[in-house]
Amino acid sequence: MIEAVGLTKRYGAKTAVDEVNFTVRPGMVTGFLGPNGAGKSTTMRLIVGLDRPSAGTVTLNGRAYADLRAPLHEVGVLLDAKAVHTGRSALNHLLALAATHRIPRRRVDEVIALTGLESVANKRVGGFSLGMGQRLGIAAALLGDPATLILDEPVNGLDPEGVIWVRQLARSLAAQGRTIFLSSHLMSEMAQTADHIIVLGKGRVIADAPVGDIVALATGTAVRVRTPDAARLTPLLAGATASVTSSAPDLLEVTGLSSAQIGELAAGAGVVLHELSPVAGSLEDAYLTLTQDSVEYHAGAASAPTAEAAR
Amino acid sequence: MTTTTAPTSLPGLTFGGIVTSEWVKLRSLRSTIWCYALIIVVTLGLGLILAGTLNTGGVTPPAADQQALWLSASTLGIQLGVLISAVLGALVITGEYGTGMIRSTITAVPTRTPALMAKALVFAVVTFVVGFISELATALVTVPLFAARGIHPDFGDSHAWLVMLGGAGYLTLMGLIALALGTIIRNSAGGIAASLGLILVVPSIFAIFAGLTRAEWANDISKYLPSNAGSQMFNPYQASMTGQFEQWQGTLVVLAWVVVLMLGAVALLKRRDV
Repeated sequence: MIEAVGLTKRYGAKTAVDEVNFTVRPGMVTGFLGPNGAGKSTTMRLIVGLDRPSAGTVTLNGRAYADLRAPLHEVGVLLDAKAVHTGRSALNHLLALAATHRIPRRRVDEVIALTGLESVANKRVGGFSLGMGQRLGIAAALLGDPATLILDEPVNGLDPEGVIWVRQLARSLAAQGRTIFLSSHLMSEMAQTADHIIVLGKGRVIADAPVGDIVALATGTAVRVRTPDAARLTPLLAGATASVTSSAPDLLEVTGLSSAQIGELAAGAGVVLHELSPVAGSLEDAYLTLTQDSVEYHAGAASAPTAEAAR
Repeated sequence: MTTTTAPTSLPGLTFGGIVTSEWVKLRSLRSTIWCYALIIVVTLGLGLILAGTLNTGGVTPPAADQQALWLSASTLGIQLGVLISAVLGALVITGEYGTGMIRSTITAVPTRTPALMAKALVFAVVTFVVGFISELATALVTVPLFAARGIHPDFGDSHAWLVMLGGAGYLTLMGLIALALGTIIRNSAGGIAASLGLILVVPSIFAIFAGLTRAEWANDISKYLPSNAGSQMFNPYQASMTGQFEQWQGTLVVLAWVVVLMLGAVALLKRRDV
């Protein structure tokens, strides 16, 4: 159980995390979603005490991270793949971390096998690919067999096989009653892994709901209509208070009317329809809808760099 | 494994465990091996060169000078060795900042201070042992070279052992000063530059200043600088020069530098975001 109450982090004039409240519950995978720069990583650093909150608190099972007596057994954390000395071998890195909690060598070998690092365990981490670095980070997080797992962008740099592996790992650990908290900027990834989603935008929680509810936000909003007679149908639809957009001469995207209503309008006017289909709401759409006002760095937007430059 | 809290039978975080961890970290980097190997080579090499090229003009020196010549040869490399020890001392912590390893260290040891203390302890013990063994080895291998010049070192002399312990202590404490500076500066280039600057450059500035202005206070301050006070930790002569520290005084002065800088390092380590 992770609980954030009024959690705030300011870096100078920039507020990275702004009075955030949320609870991450055990027994399920909670996705932490938001555009780049939304404050996800900062929030995770605050949880494990690397950064000090400017205001508010965050606790793990009721206690601050620094007060945990055996932090590696209670919380496993992957913050970024670069939390490793590049001159040390993967095995020695894990042995050094394990030694702090007197975790036996047997467990080190276990996590190496689990993450598929056997063949490179004795190689220096400096030569690792992004994906191997990510596997090592996950191995380190699993070392203490922790009750809570916090993974920041765990699938970053993994091959498709690795992505599926992380997904299954997260699901199976959650099924064992553990608390799993994963961040991502990819909605599609979360849709397949998470039970519950917290969406962060510009440092604030903009949604905190089960995956189903987030999808519902985007469902049934649009209907795709294909017709050779678009020119005649468009004014009819517009007259019925629908909004119509067109991406091809024979293709209309209609919002504000159901497919049944559109079908009846078309039949009444004798317009031939080749296609009439509700556009299935996707998490991707819901996510874009939710975050469109809070995206920190719009591609090509002239105002984008100023906020980041202040950091 | 269906538990949601850590089983109580697990040992958890202990200082002994953290010390083991720091030992694994220290021994698993190439920079460690290189630096310690270099200290051994430099100490042996300079000792052998001095003993092998010593020219007594055919006159056998008095007994006290015989000991001093032998101890000078055994500890000559320490003066160069401290520079290597300082580089390594800075690197053991700045390497963690540079690579991001510090985040792994601090998530494993969230109270932070024990991690730095364990690191300092492991570094100090290994550096002291390496330094002392280097001096002892040099003392042993130079015996035949000195004997050929009519100089007969006396291993039973307690002063000789104090000088060699002092040399190893100086090597260690200067490395710890660099470790503290590295923790404060958090950057390899900066940490090494600050440490070498304190050891090499600052004393020269004082010496030039004192020489040109004949300001007595510059000399008074200068003898408290870590490298100047530290040199008194392994003075090969029985008596120290007038106005200079005794061995124990020099040791305390350098120790004070270590303590003050370490306290600063701990305060910053506790306070700063990582």
